[in-house]
Amino acid sequence: MKLGMVIKTSRCIGCDACTVSCKTFNKLGPNVVYRKVHKFEVGEYPSAKRRSIPTLCNHCENAACEKVCPTGATYKDEKGRVQVDQDKCIGCRMCIGACPYGARTFNWGPQESYWPATDEPSVIDEAVAGSHRVGAVEKCTMCKDRTDNGLDPLCVHNCPARALVFGDLDDPESEVAKLVGTGKTYTLLPEKGTLPQVHYMD
Amino acid sequence: MEKTSSKFKALCAILALIAAAGVATWIYQLMGGLAVTGMSDGTSWGLYITGFMFFVGLSAGGLIVASSASVFHVTEYKKVALPAVILSTVCICCAGLSIFIDLGSIQNVWRMFVGLNFLSPLAWDLIVISLYLIINIIYLVMMTSKNPETQGKVAIVSRFALPVAILVHSVTAWIFGLEIARDGWYTALMAPLFVVSAMDSGLALLLLALAGLQKAGWFTIDKKLFASLAGLLATCVAIDGYLVGCEALTMAYPGAEGASMLAIMTTGATAPFFWFEVIVGILIPFCILVFAKNRQRRGLVCVASACVVAGVLCKRLWVLLTSFVGFAVPTPLGTIGGAEVWEMTIGYAPTWPEYVIVAGVVALGALAFVVLARKLLPAAPKSAKDLAQEALDGIVPEGAVS
Repeated sequence: MKLGMVIKTSRCIGCDACTVSCKTFNKLGPNVVYRKVHKFEVGEYPSAKRRSIPTLCNHCENAACEKVCPTGATYKDEKGRVQVDQDKCIGCRMCIGACPYGARTFNWGPQESYWPATDEPSVIDEAVAGSHRVGAVEKCTMCKDRTDNGLDPLCVHNCPARALVFGDLDDPESEVAKLVGTGKTYTLLPEKGTLPQVHYMD
Repeated sequence: MEKTSSKFKALCAILALIAAAGVATWIYQLMGGLAVTGMSDGTSWGLYITGFMFFVGLSAGGLIVASSASVFHVTEYKKVALPAVILSTVCICCAGLSIFIDLGSIQNVWRMFVGLNFLSPLAWDLIVISLYLIINIIYLVMMTSKNPETQGKVAIVSRFALPVAILVHSVTAWIFGLEIARDGWYTALMAPLFVVSAMDSGLALLLLALAGLQKAGWFTIDKKLFASLAGLLATCVAIDGYLVGCEALTMAYPGAEGASMLAIMTTGATAPFFWFEVIVGILIPFCILVFAKNRQRRGLVCVASACVVAGVLCKRLWVLLTSFVGFAVPTPLGTIGGAEVWEMTIGYAPTWPEYVIVAGVVALGALAFVVLARKLLPAAPKSAKDLAQEALDGIVPEGAVS
């Protein structure tokens, strides 16, 4: 099994719903994201357009981050997703240097509050604090809890424009495998040889 | 004698104080997390890793000189082997310490002993640095031994010491040089570059240390040997400059990815460090040391050595930081990241805890060096208690210092 994604950039409306879904599902604090939507101005006035491209962990087949991890905290799981075992991470940040996509984040210190001016700890801040360990590296898990149960990752589920397609690249009947089979998809930085499992197409 | 002793005590006290401040700040960092540093996801390594690279390099000079004495039968180097190995041991301990300081989850380090991933360059580093430290300690024990048979065995250890010394710098280089993600790091030249930087900064520090020991009256080094080591330093500095030149030309020529990295180094965010290294770290010391007459002048050699050490420190900084500054992911719609984004939104400036902790590591290293030198060097002044214990044990004692 090789779970992966196809991102149709022409369908992306740049609404950031995926980023927000991800932040709520993974209980991420302020300034922490596992995935982003990058916005670009393409073309010249008067025919300039605003285009967006979402990026996330590419769950590479030949993952550079996995190789350099000294304790094996970063690993490819049985479904082809790249995961970080928080209990094994020593916080050396080799993987952050090794990732060509900048997909990893580090818990530099205790999570900041979303409401720094208020005294009472909010429910959200407590949830955030309880789900991250200071000194460990984190990243997109491809919504492990959801995808283990046959659901789509929340970013895919919540995309209003259906720009994100999720599935098993090893299953020839899946939509992702069919889209990749058309030959119209591409990956980011293919010359790095990391073989991303997140593909893009227009 | 009495005066030297009080001066020595004052020096130790100052160094101990700085080291204690470093330890206190480290505890503060352990409580607050690495958020107290200037590092971020965009610049995930900073002053600590620079210190690590720098100290690994500084430890080279000592062991390479000491083991060359036996391997290549350069008998005159044997005279400085003992202070050289003391310096080497201290520096490699500082390097190891720097890595531990940089770790986010030091409580999980035991995982490296139960589930080491042998594909990771950091795992190789753990193995090779441990080996290197063990060899240094064996050396120290053998060289200070009063048994003449043990002295003879030094030659055997040297045959292992030299390749391990080369490997320890190569492996440190591979932490960076094998990461295809970073254009500035991913080059086969990284390992030779680290080896030669280690040799020139290590030799330069050794020369400074020898001059210092001589001034303190703990050690005498004859002029000819000092000049000969200075000549070796000139050669290493020249090779270092040559390799930097090769790397720069290879980056510039295709006018592609590498050229943008080179632009950051020569005109961008890391340019001050690059040009400092080229001018102060390579050109000036080489122009001083290339003339045999200058190599006879101890003061001038010390100035050149200080330039080399400072230059190599700057080199560590530009090697490390340029790849963070230039990090970019091109997409068909546009490029994500890049030098401008780094300078405007990410950046890196060490915070006071970083400076204090690094100063603490340096002070601890200096303290360990002066204490060990006083204990182990035959000409160093000793307290009556030490001499009595030495006479009793027949070996160099361990224990409290004056």
